[in-house]
Amino acid sequence: MFNQGLSLDQAPPISVPFRFFLSAPIFGVLLGLLFLFSSPLEITNQYSPLAIGAVHLFTLGILSMIIFGAMQQMMPVLAGAVIKKPLLFGNIVHSSLVLGTLGFTLSFIFDIKMFLHIGVLFLSISFLVFFTLCIKLLFKVEFLTSTVKAMRLFSISGLITFILGLILAFFHISSSMPDNYYSFVNSHILFALFGFTLLLIMGVSFQVIPMFYVSKDFPKFVQNKLPLIVFSLLFITAFFFFFEINIFILKLIFAGMFLSFSYFGLNSLNNRRRPVFDVTLWYWKLSLFMLSFSMVLWLFDIFESNFILAIIFGFGFVYSLLQGMVYKIIPFLAWFHLSSKGYFSLPTIREFIEEKKIKYHFFIHLSSVVFFIIGYFINIFLYLGAIAFIISNILFFINCLIGIKKYAKIAKTDPMDMTAFK
Amino acid sequence: METISSFLTQDHRACDEEFASMENEVASENWEEANTKLIKFSNDLLHHFDMEEKVMFSAFESKTGMTQGPTAMMRMEHEQMRGLLEDLKNDVNSTDKNHFFGVSESLMMLMQQHNMKEEQMLYAMADAHLGDAVSDVVENMKAI
Repeated sequence: MFNQGLSLDQAPPISVPFRFFLSAPIFGVLLGLLFLFSSPLEITNQYSPLAIGAVHLFTLGILSMIIFGAMQQMMPVLAGAVIKKPLLFGNIVHSSLVLGTLGFTLSFIFDIKMFLHIGVLFLSISFLVFFTLCIKLLFKVEFLTSTVKAMRLFSISGLITFILGLILAFFHISSSMPDNYYSFVNSHILFALFGFTLLLIMGVSFQVIPMFYVSKDFPKFVQNKLPLIVFSLLFITAFFFFFEINIFILKLIFAGMFLSFSYFGLNSLNNRRRPVFDVTLWYWKLSLFMLSFSMVLWLFDIFESNFILAIIFGFGFVYSLLQGMVYKIIPFLAWFHLSSKGYFSLPTIREFIEEKKIKYHFFIHLSSVVFFIIGYFINIFLYLGAIAFIISNILFFINCLIGIKKYAKIAKTDPMDMTAFK
Repeated sequence: METISSFLTQDHRACDEEFASMENEVASENWEEANTKLIKFSNDLLHHFDMEEKVMFSAFESKTGMTQGPTAMMRMEHEQMRGLLEDLKNDVNSTDKNHFFGVSESLMMLMQQHNMKEEQMLYAMADAHLGDAVSDVVENMKAI
């Protein structure tokens, strides 16, 4: 099967990843609006229905959306795992994820149980279709690299996250919360953040950072053992949750591992051999710095509420990294597809999205994170954070759209016509 | 034993280093030195393509009968990279730093995704299919 991944014909049509990437900032705007029109007391309380809605607007509408889109593109290249009917697969996963996210989050925000049924139905379709195929394809790969191994662990963690989420949704639908409800909640969060999110980010970083910036590899131990240790610890920690055992020692190990991942990532980026300035480096560095910061906050429970931790981990670490990745992927895919179709004179990768515009976006994104953090102490800043977050997502959307439109404009022309893209 | 995978992967890394040295010279606008580094990088990259196309791909194609499979795709991407090398030469000649880095970024991305596919699939396939002939193939590549 591995030869299939080498053909561009086997990669998904470019419209597949693009629709996932363009949908994420739209959910970002919705999330910003939610922050803007909510009471600070409710939105900063992690167990309030509003906060549950907000968290899932991010984890489903932004995080899963970008990860699902990127994985469909990465699996053929990084693992040789080819999806047979990519357009059909992409359509099912994308449309059900959009409808599921809307149904699920609206049910919590407006307290309408009917929407929860719709949300659960569509999210089940999206997650089951996506992970069933991922697991099937990734476990068929014959030549294993650290990235493929981490992707396998990511897909199993994703499936477990979904199953735990489904159980929780049924508790809500039936309005009966068992005594160990919070053990389910904590396990769901654990598998979502450390399994689904971090395992994939680690696996991809092992490949992408040294390759794209010509920098040092992560140490072999980190590449080969860390994901496996994290994966095993997820189960042990979940066990501790259900038996109400103190997890401080496990937190210490998790934090130690993620801090070392972050350290080696930053070290590799800071000692890269390529001198050229690349704005995506800012996103990577901010992201890894925020990961370290969040681990320290989590380890020592520095703030009573988890609001600051959620902002730093979610927007500071995860969203910064995802945005940086999308800014790398869109211009490359646009250029690569056009070049492969025989267009000789093309804009360079850097000309698809203007760097200056990405920089503006970066600063607005960063200020939204800072405002949200200050907002915990001085509530008015929450609103400033919300406004900055909305603007940031609009800029992200526009920048992506500009790159995609440039691609579409050229793709409509004759490959031999040299004047069309001037 | 040296495998196709270890030998050619190492050569990828050596080309990456040459690529970074070339970019360093352009970044400091040492155009004369940049041109020297570009020639070195270009020669090394084309030599790498020759080793693959003339020796390894041919051996793989004869053994497996797959002439329109992965090797055909890799040859096509080599052509894309050859085109970009010409663009880089034009930019160094006209000392157009801005455009140079646009093209070098395109080449870098193309090279790296190409390398990933080779290192993670094609080389492993070649080592598996060619079996006992692997050391001869490696020696023949070194002889080019």
